[in-house]
Amino acid sequence: MGTKLIWSSAIALEAIVLCRGVKAALLRNYPFFYAYVGCVFLVDLLRFSCYEFAPNFNQAFYWHTELVTIVMSYAIVFEIFRRSLRLNPAVARFAQTLLFVVLVLTGTYVAIDLLHGGFTSLPRATAELGRDLRYVEGALLLVMLWLFGRYRISFGRNLLGLTIGYSLLVGLDVINLAFLFLPGNELSIGLRKLRPITYLITLIMWCASLWSSRPDPVPPEESAIERDYDLLEAKTRTALAHISVRVASTLRP
Amino acid sequence: MTPLIPILFLGALILVFSGRLLVQWSRKNRTQSVTIEDYSSARAALDSVSVETMAIKRIFATDDMGFISRTGTPEVRRIFLKERKTLALQWLRKTQKQVAQLMDLHLKLASYTHEPNPGFELRLTVNYMFFIFASNVLLIFLWLQGPFKAVSTVGYTLRVAEYFCSVFSLRLEKINPVKLDPVRVTRMV
Repeated sequence: MGTKLIWSSAIALEAIVLCRGVKAALLRNYPFFYAYVGCVFLVDLLRFSCYEFAPNFNQAFYWHTELVTIVMSYAIVFEIFRRSLRLNPAVARFAQTLLFVVLVLTGTYVAIDLLHGGFTSLPRATAELGRDLRYVEGALLLVMLWLFGRYRISFGRNLLGLTIGYSLLVGLDVINLAFLFLPGNELSIGLRKLRPITYLITLIMWCASLWSSRPDPVPPEESAIERDYDLLEAKTRTALAHISVRVASTLRP
Repeated sequence: MTPLIPILFLGALILVFSGRLLVQWSRKNRTQSVTIEDYSSARAALDSVSVETMAIKRIFATDDMGFISRTGTPEVRRIFLKERKTLALQWLRKTQKQVAQLMDLHLKLASYTHEPNPGFELRLTVNYMFFIFASNVLLIFLWLQGPFKAVSTVGYTLRVAEYFCSVFSLRLEKINPVKLDPVRVTRMV
């Protein structure tokens, strides 16, 4: 009963996020994010139907669709990257290089891990691939979050909600998946129950932050600043004069 | 359990950094972006660090200590040592603060430039971390041993401070001041 309630709540919230996206004209600003939500919404509907009408097929179907949703969630990483750094060309190029390095490193690690692990069964292999893709995604997200903090990147309310909600989801999912694949760990059972609740919290955060279109911080218009340029020049001249006096007094025997 | 640790660390760091982003956002509503005033005061701070460096070397000059030891009484020597120690500690704390402010401004201004260099940014980060470490070690050393026994560490700190000044000076030269905020108001569209 509880599972169904959480499940149906998640589907309802996904529908609300999509509806608000259309109504608040946010689809145009965040197309990749809404593509992801739309995909997850469809997958959840299919899973729900499968759970109700073909329970034997449910587990295999779950892991296959989980892989699809994890691959699709890379769209959010791209969306956050695209929207947050569009006004910061220098940081964007630095981030691009760093993200590429992280992608290659974690991708290689994951590929080696997968090849060494061997394929016991298709659902297991799919689940492991999904887990490893999530780890790579987590590493990419971590690099981006570090860069946002380091370079004090400005966020609008929409993008902030999207990023925080997504970070919460991925962060807890990474921890959860790590325990889930650890045999005989009691903690993983508790964490598995926590996972849908985390997703619900994320959806609520997305609902609240993307309810209406909020402005993004932008750099000032050039014409407005040109007025103050003379002031800057005058200040620099004063500072130079001040320094000249100090240099003279320092060098005096 | 061991392979689990880096993954748990990764998950935990994502949560911590997202929390930091939220805090940063809430603070940004109160504080403002880089303005022309910040830019010009940073230029002035840079120039003052360069000029003061010449004078600061005098605090640690052993010639003065030698002179006082030869001519002064033990009481004069004690007062001289105490004054120099206080002066050295004040200078070091001020330098630490100034470099931290310049680093902060450098990071904020990074988005105003169009010449990104990931290698340079990484080198700068490593150098800054070394500077923090070395200057804190020097602070403890000055506190315990006094200013005249820390000459080599002082030399390193001065060199690094000068390096930062030249780096930040280059950064400021690359800034297009026309793109900075003219007034202390957060602009939204």
